[in-house]
Amino acid sequence: MAVCAAIIGKDNSSKFFVTLNPDEELHFQYKVLSSLDIIEDKLATGTKGGADTKELYLGMLLSLETYKIYGYVTNTKIKFVIVVDSTNVVLRDNEIRSMFRKIHSEFADIVSNPFYIPGEPIISKNFTTSMKNIMTGTV
Amino acid sequence: MQASTVQSDSDIPQELCVKPLALVGVSGLDVVNNAVHKSIWETFSGNRRIERAPVLFKILGNAQEFPIVKPRRTSYDWYIPKGILKKNWMNKHLYEIPAVIVIFYDLDWNDPQWNEKMMECASRVQSMRAALEGRNTRLTIVLMQNSPPLPQGEDSLAAEKAAALCSSCDIHSQSLFVLPHGDHLQGYAVRLENAFYEYAQVYYQNEAKHIKSHKEHLNKNSHQYLFVRHQFKIAFLSEMRQDNHTAHKHYTNAYNNLLDIRIVDTNALEIRTIAGFINYKLCRLLFVLNLPRDAISQFKSHIERFKARIGFHELTFEHYAWLSKQYSVFGDIFDEAVKLGLPAVQTQHPGIYYQQAAQYCTQRKKLCHELCTTVATYPQPDPLQGANNMEFYGQRPWRPGKLTADPPDPHLESSGIQALQYLEKQVNHSSLIITLYGLAISQYKMYRCPRTRRYLVLQMADEYYDSNDYGKALTLYTHMLTDFRNEQWWDILSRILEKAILCAYLTANVQDYVALALEILGANIKTPLNEKRRIYENLMRILKKLIPFGDPKLSQEILQNAIIHWQPVFTDKRFNLTLDMYNMIASVSVKARFTKKTYEVNQNVILEIFIRSTCPFPLTLTKVSVTLTLQNQNLEYTVPDLDEYSFNFHKDEVKKYVIEFLADCKDINKDIHIHSVNIFMGNLEDCHLNLKYPPFVEVNRNHPELCHFKLNSDVLDFDNVQLITQATVVPRESKLKVEFRHNNPALLGEWYEIEAIVTNEELHDIVDLKIEVWIEEEIANVELSLQPSDKEKKLNLVLNNSQTLQSGEEIATNFFVRSNLVCKCNIQSKLTYVLNGDKRILSIKTEKLPLVVVEPFEVSTKYLSILMDEIDKFYVDEEFGIMSYVKFTSPWPIIIEDTSLDYLFPVIPAEKNQSSQIAGKMFNKDEIAAELRLANCNKANIKSTNVGNYTIKWRREGGHGASTTLNVIGLTCDWLAVGLKLIVPAHGFVRTPMIVEYRFENRSHELIRLDLSMEASESFMFSGRKQFSISLLPVSTRTLQYNLTPLYTGSVVLPRLGLTISESSENGPPVIRQDQLNSLIYRTLPTHVYVMPQLRGEANLPETLKSSENVAVIG
Repeated sequence: MAVCAAIIGKDNSSKFFVTLNPDEELHFQYKVLSSLDIIEDKLATGTKGGADTKELYLGMLLSLETYKIYGYVTNTKIKFVIVVDSTNVVLRDNEIRSMFRKIHSEFADIVSNPFYIPGEPIISKNFTTSMKNIMTGTV
Repeated sequence: MQASTVQSDSDIPQELCVKPLALVGVSGLDVVNNAVHKSIWETFSGNRRIERAPVLFKILGNAQEFPIVKPRRTSYDWYIPKGILKKNWMNKHLYEIPAVIVIFYDLDWNDPQWNEKMMECASRVQSMRAALEGRNTRLTIVLMQNSPPLPQGEDSLAAEKAAALCSSCDIHSQSLFVLPHGDHLQGYAVRLENAFYEYAQVYYQNEAKHIKSHKEHLNKNSHQYLFVRHQFKIAFLSEMRQDNHTAHKHYTNAYNNLLDIRIVDTNALEIRTIAGFINYKLCRLLFVLNLPRDAISQFKSHIERFKARIGFHELTFEHYAWLSKQYSVFGDIFDEAVKLGLPAVQTQHPGIYYQQAAQYCTQRKKLCHELCTTVATYPQPDPLQGANNMEFYGQRPWRPGKLTADPPDPHLESSGIQALQYLEKQVNHSSLIITLYGLAISQYKMYRCPRTRRYLVLQMADEYYDSNDYGKALTLYTHMLTDFRNEQWWDILSRILEKAILCAYLTANVQDYVALALEILGANIKTPLNEKRRIYENLMRILKKLIPFGDPKLSQEILQNAIIHWQPVFTDKRFNLTLDMYNMIASVSVKARFTKKTYEVNQNVILEIFIRSTCPFPLTLTKVSVTLTLQNQNLEYTVPDLDEYSFNFHKDEVKKYVIEFLADCKDINKDIHIHSVNIFMGNLEDCHLNLKYPPFVEVNRNHPELCHFKLNSDVLDFDNVQLITQATVVPRESKLKVEFRHNNPALLGEWYEIEAIVTNEELHDIVDLKIEVWIEEEIANVELSLQPSDKEKKLNLVLNNSQTLQSGEEIATNFFVRSNLVCKCNIQSKLTYVLNGDKRILSIKTEKLPLVVVEPFEVSTKYLSILMDEIDKFYVDEEFGIMSYVKFTSPWPIIIEDTSLDYLFPVIPAEKNQSSQIAGKMFNKDEIAAELRLANCNKANIKSTNVGNYTIKWRREGGHGASTTLNVIGLTCDWLAVGLKLIVPAHGFVRTPMIVEYRFENRSHELIRLDLSMEASESFMFSGRKQFSISLLPVSTRTLQYNLTPLYTGSVVLPRLGLTISESSENGPPVIRQDQLNSLIYRTLPTHVYVMPQLRGEANLPETLKSSENVAVIG
């Protein structure tokens, strides 16, 4: 079970942010923002090598005292970030990977929505619900 | 007070941090009075670089005392240790007990008072040995000598005396050194130093062995502390002799032994402290041994183990202080390793540890607030008495050396806790935290983590805020705003703004307060509406020069303080504030643009200003103006105030204002930029805000084009206003009419006349009219002139014309153009003038005239023999005809004025009269004129002969005369030895005889013999030689005459002449070949002649041969 998930745009602005505990949102925003540094760095060094590596999953970005942060970047440089409690040992790399894949497909659906303008923050009840479901593993 | 004197247990003591160096005691140097001694001492002690031996020198006095040697223990059975590590032990070995003592003594081998001095030296050694009281310290003697030493073994005196000295001092011969203090002192010193270092290593190894030997006496039950202590000591001594691997092994042992000890309340602090020490040493060594991963994992497991061991609840802050210290110290050693070349990465660098240290320190502060607020007094008697003189590390001063698990005295215990709490309360936590954040921030900056760094800066700012340093907090907050704004993390931005505005309020910083308020009132900021309302009201108060109300959440005391700060702000009569809104996303946003990119000078420049307010409450502006820059010069225009509502804004309202002005004539071709838009709020007289906006704000947006899809209620569509922030002033569009009259196309080489007709269709008169014409592509072969002559040709022409032109008037002027190249080109014309209307306006009109140049005619030439057959060769002295054909291609009729051919040697004309045959004729398109000239070539030439220049003088009908000269290239020219010519009348009459004459010419200098035959012909009767061998003398002509009587009329065939080279001619190269003869005959002899019917009456007969002359006539 993830405690927080975020979608960050190409310009590094927050497009969607959800936490299981809404009181901690600001706190998690800082954490996610910190992990962006690492994503940026990985992207900067990663592009030097292979022209386009098919691997979108970046793996664990940060392992803090209390949380682990994982990252995923789409081809269009949209970043997905998941924060997991460090005490959670159930979630393995594979589960995180599949979580990201589900988020990616949800995101693709949102972008396909003609009423959504790419680049704007995502405000959709439906999307929030499905994101929460992905986080809690109920899908 | 006590606070400063009591050393905190969480600190790492100085003696632990220094790099252990072998201690060498130096005696016998009088550094104060003796210059030589001083220089020796400085050579040893100064300039300790890395390549020098790891040795520390210490000057010992003459009456040096060393720590007392403890009596040897034979058994540890009854020994109960009171603690783990004695506080004085490390210090003792680092600075007090030397491994080697060096006794310096001035003594030359040849010293006259050798014996006395030797005795004195021996006594010094003796007294030093006595002072050591049986310690294993190595004693060495260094003799300082004036004379340079002789090579070893040669100085028998020296060897002898050295042996004597050694024996009298009772030292080993290897402990005696000589130091010549003349030259090369440094080199000697380095060598000596290495020798001392070797002895020191031996000493420390022996000491370590000695400690190791205690092990067999110890038992696991009562001597657990000693296991730790001994291992620590062995490790420390190994470090002193720079054996890091052994040191690491023993520190690990010590750490593991420590973990075996059961932790109870009474020893918890001590074990934690020692664990911290050993861990420190371990991590540091691991970094030195280049095992950074092991260091990090050691540190992590260390923290993991002790994190939960909080100890006394009342003293939890101590635990966090310790944790914080552990992290910050680890950060220090990590950083130190990085500085020595260890590569660190973004996810693993010292900053992470500093950050964690800061966080633990924050917890410490929090706990301190929780636990220590009630403590008001320091307990008496002082339970911390003698805290700095404790025997062991990490013990409570009120129960030193207490090992038993007995419950301690509760009263003493609580007063001790109270004292510690009291001291904790005095600590300035914030400064500690801020320092740690500072360290972390610089590290994160180094490892390319701008966002994490920003987060830390915010935490630092929070800490400043908590420590009531609002000014610094405000500075930090405001510096962070831009980055968060750019990345559009509105939640975080909202929080920073809220904090910052509090700071601005508390420091009475009006400038920042207003700027922050304007930003908070914007739509992006998620601050609750009631809060926004409060800030809005405060903003309105400031505009009325009233002190804003503080946040009701703040304490009364702080608020009162703030109000004191605010009071002087509004005392000035005028209160005007200018804010630069660049880089801000405020509640009022502005865009300004020109309506087009170019404005003509007589048109109004139109500027549109869009203002949008996203403030949830109504805003009123008092003035809107715009500043433009035009070449270093600023222009300001104010929006006219139409009615009282025009500057009132409601939520999400967008208004458009238009400014129109006329550009100045002198600004033609200059750019106007929108520099800024200024918005004024408040009362313009004495209290107003001047908000200075850039013409637009760069928004970090991915797909601006998609914004058009956004549902937008505002009609003006503020987001999608296309911006033009720069416009150019251009000359006005001219209403002059320019017409060119000419007969296109122009002909090559002629002066082509073009007439320009300018009509003034402006409403006003014009003056200073200037017409310039030039060729667009600068073709050098195209020339312009005002006259149809070569005298004034130019590439750029100013036409003659009257300079003033009344409205409706028309002027005409002409100019000429000549092209020497067939081409298409454009003639540009530019009319510059001043319109003499209400205002003099400079205007420019340009017009382009395309021009096509074609050839007027083509000339071709043919060459003919005298028989009018075309030839492919000239022959010397044989006449030929030059037929010139002129084919006219011009669409305009052309009159040929004259033609001439100027022959060039060797071609000469064969006629006396050379007048043109086509002069004065007019030709239309596609007509061909031809003329024939006869010429002779005087010289053989294998190349084509240059016949001459053919000049045609011509003009188009009604045009100006032009002349075209062409070079005529002829054919090759051969020389023949024989010339042949037939002279025959133009016509004959039937049955009337006529004379024909064959002329043979020998042009060579040799005799030529030819056989001649004349074939019989049906058409003629003829007399003359029928078959004849003819000899031609060199350079002579011979003539054969024949009398012909034609028998038929019409064009009849003449008798054919045959010529062959006589067989009897001399040997040698023939001067002429048969084929040449044949072609000569073919070329020069006509084959036919016209014969007319006999004339009636007395005809004027042509000349016939008279019988008397008919010498050669054959019957």
